[in-house]
Parts: sequence; structure tokens; C-alpha cells
Amino acid sequence: MSAIIENVDKIFNVSLIYATFRSATPIIFAALCAALTQQANILNIGTEGIMLVGSFTAVGVSYLTGNWVIGVLAAMISGAFIASIMAVGHIKYNAEICAIGMGINMLALAVTKLLLNVIFKTNGTFSDPKIVPIPKVHFAFMDDIPVLNQLLNNWSITEWLAIVLILVLQFLFYKTVWGLRLRAVGQFAMAAQTAGIKVTQIKYQAMIASGLMGGLAGAHLSLGYSTQFVENMTNNRGFMGVAAMYFGGANPILTALGCLLFGFADSVGARLQAYGIPSQFVLMMPYIVTIVILAISMYVKYRNNKRKESSLLAPKAQLKTQG
Amino acid sequence: MKKILSVLLVAVMCFSLVACGGSDSDSGASGGSSDEKGKDKIRVCIVYTGNLGDKSYNDSCNEGAQRAVEELGVEVKSLEGATAEEWESNLVSACEEGYDLIIGASSNIADYITEHGPNYPETKFAVIDTTVDLDNVQSISFAQNQGSFLAGAAAAMFTTKTDIEGVNKEKIIGWVGGMDIPVLHDFYTGYEQGAKYIDPDIKILQAFAGTWTDPLKGKELTLAQYEQGADIVMNVASGTGPGILEAAKEAGKYAIGVDLNQDNDQPGSILTSMVKRVDNACYLVIESVVNDTFAGGTTQYLSLEEGGVSLTDFAVIKESLGDKFPQDIVDKCDELAEKIIAGEIVVENYEGFGPEAQ
Repeated sequence: MSAIIENVDKIFNVSLIYATFRSATPIIFAALCAALTQQANILNIGTEGIMLVGSFTAVGVSYLTGNWVIGVLAAMISGAFIASIMAVGHIKYNAEICAIGMGINMLALAVTKLLLNVIFKTNGTFSDPKIVPIPKVHFAFMDDIPVLNQLLNNWSITEWLAIVLILVLQFLFYKTVWGLRLRAVGQFAMAAQTAGIKVTQIKYQAMIASGLMGGLAGAHLSLGYSTQFVENMTNNRGFMGVAAMYFGGANPILTALGCLLFGFADSVGARLQAYGIPSQFVLMMPYIVTIVILAISMYVKYRNNKRKESSLLAPKAQLKTQG
Repeated sequence: MKKILSVLLVAVMCFSLVACGGSDSDSGASGGSSDEKGKDKIRVCIVYTGNLGDKSYNDSCNEGAQRAVEELGVEVKSLEGATAEEWESNLVSACEEGYDLIIGASSNIADYITEHGPNYPETKFAVIDTTVDLDNVQSISFAQNQGSFLAGAAAAMFTTKTDIEGVNKEKIIGWVGGMDIPVLHDFYTGYEQGAKYIDPDIKILQAFAGTWTDPLKGKELTLAQYEQGADIVMNVASGTGPGILEAAKEAGKYAIGVDLNQDNDQPGSILTSMVKRVDNACYLVIESVVNDTFAGGTTQYLSLEEGGVSLTDFAVIKESLGDKFPQDIVDKCDELAEKIIAGEIVVENYEGFGPEAQ
């Protein structure tokens, strides 16, 4: 314990801020992917699988074409393709979304493993100097400013993009007609339909947009965060994204805050381990945070519902006492 | 239409379920099943913890197995698995298949062999990297503490070479492991002792990723150690390791490879690798079955002296650093290795390891 107090300046220094954001970014993308469909009341459990397919496609295409932009675009298209399979199954054929989602996750794991073997003739890991990563943004003027240099320099392009996308989605959901329709579909589909909104069309659009986002999440994982593809490299980041989405109630900014909390738990954990905190405990932290976050958000939701209910019930209750 | 689609969906699901549940790959089929001896070809099954393609421990073991396929004409089946449930079910299914020899590739399998081995007294088992005390199990373990001692000494000397780009003033070195299992503590014990042998005041940062298959986690842990002042980090993490080595390259710092010669995985960022000859262990045990000299219930201990562990020749980093390459590290490591072999330096073991451990 004393070792931690001694080294507190090493654990909580400026680099922790970027480390938090760096480890949160893949989860932010995943959470935005889940938020897009959640607004239309579709729980995208397949986020994990969409991401994994995206990671594989990004690395594969970047390797074959030598161009990261094409790699990222291909990843997004592959994500949209997977999402549209889910969309057809769920919207057209009324299949249970969780079942399809889990199926997609397992399928993604198996398909990427198979293709890795067939196309690249390797197992487990695929890394090669010919894979072109997403470049990092370097501001030359920051080189001499120590704090800014540590904080903002050499971010990957997709890390900046994550911030932009959070704001874009926030605007899209709450300030545009499409967003209003999307939320209307999510909250009460029948009412939306009565109002003349094409419910099915909106749902398809949400699923495909979510697929594009999930593909991007995967591309960031394999070309931005690292430069390799590894079997099951998402390692539950998709599920953590879904949890964060719940925490934020599918509101992009709140959702991103939830992700940052995960990132923070992860980064602080990584530093604490060095000073004799048992690794088992530290590795548990992100999951404990997940449970705590979900519990709090569920409680807040419960309280709000209770309050709404009681305000509706109040007049009736009065009537009763009078009667 | 609806029916066809639902049938198709079910088929896809089944396929993916099957594909998920412990994948296997056949090798050695190239030798042709119709060999001259008839059908008494020796069949070996290797149960891995993690996947092949880790460019580390598992791949090293597979190299030995492939050599046995070529030179001894055995048939080898590899079962990979990322989670503990898969390991156990892979082992049990291998037992049921009636192989001549089942190799548990890492110490994670040891508990399952202890549990299921007695039920298959006719089957020969081998376990690498730890000891299982059963009559039908041959154990092979390594003096990873000795190899790590040299790696720790090299890291401790390297962190003082501030004229090399990326090396800071602070005397801090790092160590990132995969799962928190006893073998890795044997690694760490040696690493720590080696580093402190060079400089008693050195600080060592230690972290476990808790998985053999998440390089991104490895990368994050390694970057965290660099940000806390470490300039060289040792990788002991199988499939999590590529992330550690990538972090070294990206941060402009240094790493030490493990198991296989990883010096060329991120050339110029890897000082050396602590090579553990898992391939030899795997080959030797298969050979013993072929020659009918299999000795169940015994433990083989491969140390520095037998070439079971060693450092690489530093050639790759030497080329990239040019004039700045600190030759004294190599000389000192050679000297230390001789002293260990001669018994002048006794490298400590983690509890339950060492030549006498049973």
C-alpha cells in the first residue's frame, strides 16, 4: 500500500488521461454502434461479431491494397452487410434479436478464423509489415509544449473521429427530423406508424448505420489501436459497449462518459498492478465497474419511472380518498 | 420462403457452434496414412492453451511436433482452445479418441491431466512446463528462472544506457505476463534476481494481462509501464505478447521476447529473446514414445546447461543500433551464464519449481 502512495505521481500523471481515452475508444465505437439501434428499440447484441468481422476485413483489405482508407471503408461495408443479415432476420422474419445477435457473434468468430486460415494461411495472429495502419495525427507545434504533447499529440485519426462521431450522433438523434422519427419508432412504433412514419424503413436504416459504425469500431481495433488481426481480438469489448450504451440510455454523450469510466478503470488498473496489487483484483475492475454502472443506471431509471407513475396516479389516489 | 430461411439460419447456427467448440487442425496427414508399416503409426495429440500462431510458446511446441512428423513419421493432431472449458473438453475428447500419446502443452492443462489421467491408464501423457505426479505422465519442465535471470540482468544494464534513443534516466524496467500462473512467477523470480544482481536499487514493474489471447490488453499494460518510466519490458505472454512487442515499437522503447526467437518480430525494438526450447521438449517426448523409452512418472528438467533456455545472440538489435550497441551487455550475459552453469550463481526458484520439484 505504501508503494502506491509513494508512486502516486507515477500512477496519476498526465499520460493517464490519454491512456483512459485510448482504451475507451474501441468501446465508444461499439457503444455508438449499439446506441444507433437501441434508439429504434433494437438491442444489438451482435455488436461484438460485427466488430470482429470489421477488424478482419480492415486488416485483410489494408494488407491486399496497401491503403488504409479502403481498408476502413471495406470494414464498414462488411459491418453493414452483417447488420443487414440481422435486420432481415429480425425485422422481416420477426426472429428474436438476441438469438440472431448471439448467432452472429459465434459465426463471426468462426468465419474470421476460417478465412484467416484459407486466405492468409496462418493461425491465431496475422501481422505483416504490408498492413498499412491508420495514420496518427502529429502536430509539430506541440512538440515543445510538454503537457499538450503528451495529451493530444499522435492520436490516431479514428480517435479524433470518435469524438466527432459522438457529437454528430448527438445532433442526429436530438436535432434532426430523422432522429425524431428514429426515437418515435423506438418509443412507440405503432404511434409512429399512425403518424405516417415508415417504421420498417427507419429500422433498416438504423441497423445498417449501426453496422457501418460497428465495422468502423473493428477497423479502429485492428488498424488504429494496433496493426494486426488476432482471433477473437474484440475480447468482449463489444459487450462492454452494449453495457455502456445502457448506462447512457443510448444518449451518445452519456454513453461515451460510461465508456470513459471503463477506460479509466482499465488504465488505472494497468498502473496499479505494478505496485503489488493482486492482478486478479485489478483485472476484475472493469467488470465490477460494469456491474456497478448498470446497477446505478437501472436504479435511476426505476426511480424516474416511479416518479412518473406516481404523478399519473396522484389524481386517482385523491379521488379514492375523497370517495 | 420463410421456412427455407429458418432452416438456413439453423444450419448456419449449428455450423458456427461446431466451429466454435474447440477447433482442431490436422497435420501430418501429408505423410500419407498408408505408410509402409501399415496402421501402427504412432498417433499423438497435443492440447494447447491458447491458439497456434502466437509466434511464441505454442508455435515453438508445434515446431517440435512438426519435426517429429517429418523425422519420426508420427501423426500429430493439434487441439486449440482459448478458455478453460475448451481445454478440459479437448483433453477429454483426446483421451476418448485413444491416442498413443497426449501432450498437455502448458501447465494450464496439468490439473485436468491429474484429474482425468488415472482414468486412462493405457494412454501415455506428457505435460510440458510443470510436473504431474502420475505413473503414466512424463513431465518436462524448464529452468525459465535461469533464462529470465539473464534477461533481467540484460534489461538492468540496458536501462542505464541513456545514450540510446528512448532510454530514460530512471532505473525502471518492466515485465508483462499472460495469466497469473506459477510458471510465470518462476520467470519473474529469475528476472527480478537477475536485475537486482546488476543493480540492487532497480525498480521492476510487474503486470499480468490475465489472458493468453488479447494482444491489445498486452499493449495497454506495456504502454502503461513505459509511461511510468520503464524503458524495457519483458514479454512472457504467448498470444498476448505481440501487443507488448508492438507497444515497444510504437512508443520508441524496447522489449525482450520470449519462448521463440522474437528479435525479428519488431526489428530494432527487441533487445533479445529468452528462448525456451519447448520444441525440443515436445520432440523428445514424442521420440521417447517412438523408441519405446517413455518414462512415465518422471520429470525432465531442461536448464541453461542442457540448452533448454538461453538468450539470443542480440544480432538484430546490434544491426539497428550500430555503434551505440552496448557490447558489454552481451559479454556480461555470457559471463553470467557461465557462472550459473558452474554453480557460482544459484538462481532462485518459485515455490514448486526447480530440478528437485516433484
